Amino acid sequence: MNEPVSRRTFLQQGTGLTLAAGLSGPRLFAGEGPEPIQTFRRGGMLYRRLGQTDLFVSALSFGSHVNPGYRQSAKQGSALTEKGQARRDRHISKAFDYGVNMVDTYENAGQWQPMAKLVRTQREKVLVSICRQFPNFVGKNIDDAARLFGHVDMYRIYVGDGPGVDEKILEDWDVMRTAKKTGKVRAIGISTHSQRMMSSALEELEGLDYIMFPYNFIHARSDYSEFLPKAVRRKVGLIAIKPLAAGSIVKLDPRARPGSTPENPRIELYQNRNRPVLPAVVQKLTESLGRSPDETLCQSALRFVYSRPFMTSAMPGMFQEHELDDNYAALQSHLKLSQAEQDVLDAAHKLSSAYGPTWLPPHYRWLDQRWRVPT
Amino acid sequence: MTTKLTHNMFPMAGLSAIAVMAAVFLVSLWDFALSQNADGKPAPPVLQRQTSQPVDATSPGGEVLPEFKQAGVCARCHVVSVLEWGLSGHVEAEQGCQECHGPSLKHVADERNRVKPDHLPRGRVPVTRLCSNCHETGCPESLEVQDCQKCHHVHALINPAKPPATKHDRLEKLLARWEQFGRQLAEGDQHVTQQDWKAAQTAYGAALELIPGNHRAAEKLQMCNRRLNPHLPGFKTVGETVDQETGLPHKVRVAGEDIPMLLVPTGEFDIGSDKLADSRPVHTVHVDAFYLGQYEVTQAEWQAIMSANPSAHQETGFPDAQQMPVERVSWNDCQEFLRRLNARVAGGGFRLPSEAEWEYACRGGTLNSGLTSRNRYVGEDLSKRAWYRANSLRQPATESKFVQIEAYAPRPVGRRDPNAWGFGDMQGNVSEWCSSLYRPYLYHPSDGRESPILPGLRVIRGGAFANSAAALDPALRHAERPYRRLRWNGLRLARSVPSLQKKATASNQP
Repeated sequence: MNEPVSRRTFLQQGTGLTLAAGLSGPRLFAGEGPEPIQTFRRGGMLYRRLGQTDLFVSALSFGSHVNPGYRQSAKQGSALTEKGQARRDRHISKAFDYGVNMVDTYENAGQWQPMAKLVRTQREKVLVSICRQFPNFVGKNIDDAARLFGHVDMYRIYVGDGPGVDEKILEDWDVMRTAKKTGKVRAIGISTHSQRMMSSALEELEGLDYIMFPYNFIHARSDYSEFLPKAVRRKVGLIAIKPLAAGSIVKLDPRARPGSTPENPRIELYQNRNRPVLPAVVQKLTESLGRSPDETLCQSALRFVYSRPFMTSAMPGMFQEHELDDNYAALQSHLKLSQAEQDVLDAAHKLSSAYGPTWLPPHYRWLDQRWRVPT
Repeated sequence: MTTKLTHNMFPMAGLSAIAVMAAVFLVSLWDFALSQNADGKPAPPVLQRQTSQPVDATSPGGEVLPEFKQAGVCARCHVVSVLEWGLSGHVEAEQGCQECHGPSLKHVADERNRVKPDHLPRGRVPVTRLCSNCHETGCPESLEVQDCQKCHHVHALINPAKPPATKHDRLEKLLARWEQFGRQLAEGDQHVTQQDWKAAQTAYGAALELIPGNHRAAEKLQMCNRRLNPHLPGFKTVGETVDQETGLPHKVRVAGEDIPMLLVPTGEFDIGSDKLADSRPVHTVHVDAFYLGQYEVTQAEWQAIMSANPSAHQETGFPDAQQMPVERVSWNDCQEFLRRLNARVAGGGFRLPSEAEWEYACRGGTLNSGLTSRNRYVGEDLSKRAWYRANSLRQPATESKFVQIEAYAPRPVGRRDPNAWGFGDMQGNVSEWCSSLYRPYLYHPSDGRESPILPGLRVIRGGAFANSAAALDPALRHAERPYRRLRWNGLRLARSVPSLQKKATASNQP
């Protein structure tokens, strides 16, 4: 028989329950998330605060991708041909006109000098993001970049994969922190394709400002039960790379504009020998898209990233001007996914599943192996 | 009998001109309140400003005056105001400073005296309104309800026509005592100039008996004791140079370990830098005298204590490794090193310097911090003073296509110019662990940041061989987890001056 509960016991238990409810922490994805990151709009562009820094990054940012059709080998690494560089400069300038304020820059793709030239007149408006590419000492690399650009807005190291952050990374990180303290760098971060490295970095790296990692509606792991809530609680900026799955989502789109080429031409999807295989799934996707007549699959895919309040920015590959237009247009209307858009994404998800990893170019199939959300 | 309090009663050291003017103004108010004239007596001695202790204000009986007890922290600066207030009935009524001025916590914490107290009523109406909080019916004698200050002084509150006789007498005796104290101190100083340490010891001892616990007299007495008995446990004195203020030998070596250490004199300095986000705001910190390693702890010294050498730069390619600073040691490793060292050396007490002590020693008595645009520090070429990225490259960069971290290395200690106080490699070579927890400024050693057991990041100072010149700023605060071992983190020994307080007291006994 249960003992009667005294008033005091009841109050104590009640207080305990209340406290437990209060201390159990915010539930990230149940609409009761922690304090949303600071956001503002200027013109048509949305800007979000990068972690705890004083930098506001445009929701659409420009990556360091290089169109393979214009690549040539250089003394160190590679470089764009003159024509390719002119195209890239034109695209970046147009992106600036749209309000894009962050450009990622690779040293080993020969992008430092052209980028420095491009931003010279508007250095205070543009955030230059640098990733160490050559195996140079981080301190020297930062100094070189700071000398060229005046200062480095965002500096990151690629930490690869492994059981966790090792001594080498800790040493590099220590130098980066010092560079930030002395004012040479404004934000420091990492990029990785490994979830365990992301989790380890959150634990081990003091003053981590941002993480760049693959994130799109197919590879946005819903089982980020540990990483994402922790990152949000620590107020780490999250930047989505491959929001269009290295351009492969373009190929999933039956209504993609002609000329929209993915990063790698070897993508087999929608080639004649594959197209008739799954007409029913394609039909479903086409029907869903029909309910959103003004929108492409890519725009829905980008809006999936924009609608995540914890994501600071998305960095899709953009090789064509109209891709930039489309990606910018995705920011112009509502940010929350509508039911029609959700249906589009579900159908595209199923379509990519049905094709298996062949929907991705061979060198990006690890995305499906490591990051794919099960349907 | 008449008494005059002059501005000599004020703490002079460190007072700004504004404070002095305010003090003179208060003194004039005091004179007005007492309506008394000077009698030509010699001025009482200067009260030394104490950074961490209340002003010594003792009654002739040797007890601290009740008003000073009540006023507590306020009495550190507002000596005359407290004395004035002590003449009022408010002391017995336990109406202290806070009753009128509020808790004023920010004012108390503000060492630069920029923040005013919570309430500072000025003028007839605000003061009268404040008084009427308790004295609702006005003055029972004059029936005045409009202007309390018409008759009463703002703090003393006495009617100048009726000065309180008993308190007045007590004050007179106190002043006489201070006067005698000053004479003893002056006598002691005279003996010091003649290097008659025994006589000076007697004079200072007598002064300390008059005002027990007086910091200035105690320090002077301690200095005499050290002159008469220069031995410091655990140290071997090197050379004849002695600090004039404290009587401590300037250079010593750790007995048995042969680690050179230098005296860092007592003083105040402005810690921090407005140019560095983590080092703001700049504020004044008092540092007691202590001994600090002339150089970073070397690999040989570490190995002698720990029987192991964790350094990344040793053996092949480093013929002078034993004289190079030990590195790749964690803060926890340093604590173990210190524990073993303290067990070996008589007196023990070796520790890491606090970050305030480190910065004080690094600046070496200069006010400058930060680099100029050409990597020059305090008018000197930084490369002459420090090993850092610009001059610590081991192999020519042309040998390899890329310059990696392994290309940079520390160098044997003491190969660069020392700073103004003789410390070598304070900047560069290896970064140095400090005892302090990494917490935002203001620096308060008593707020728990010097706790050896609390968890958190520990401060690292000085920059290292792989850092750029900007990272060698003496004010730059870096921090790391206490268990991390990086190839550029080392340590430097510190030790508080062994206290001679007990000996000082004992030597006063006949």
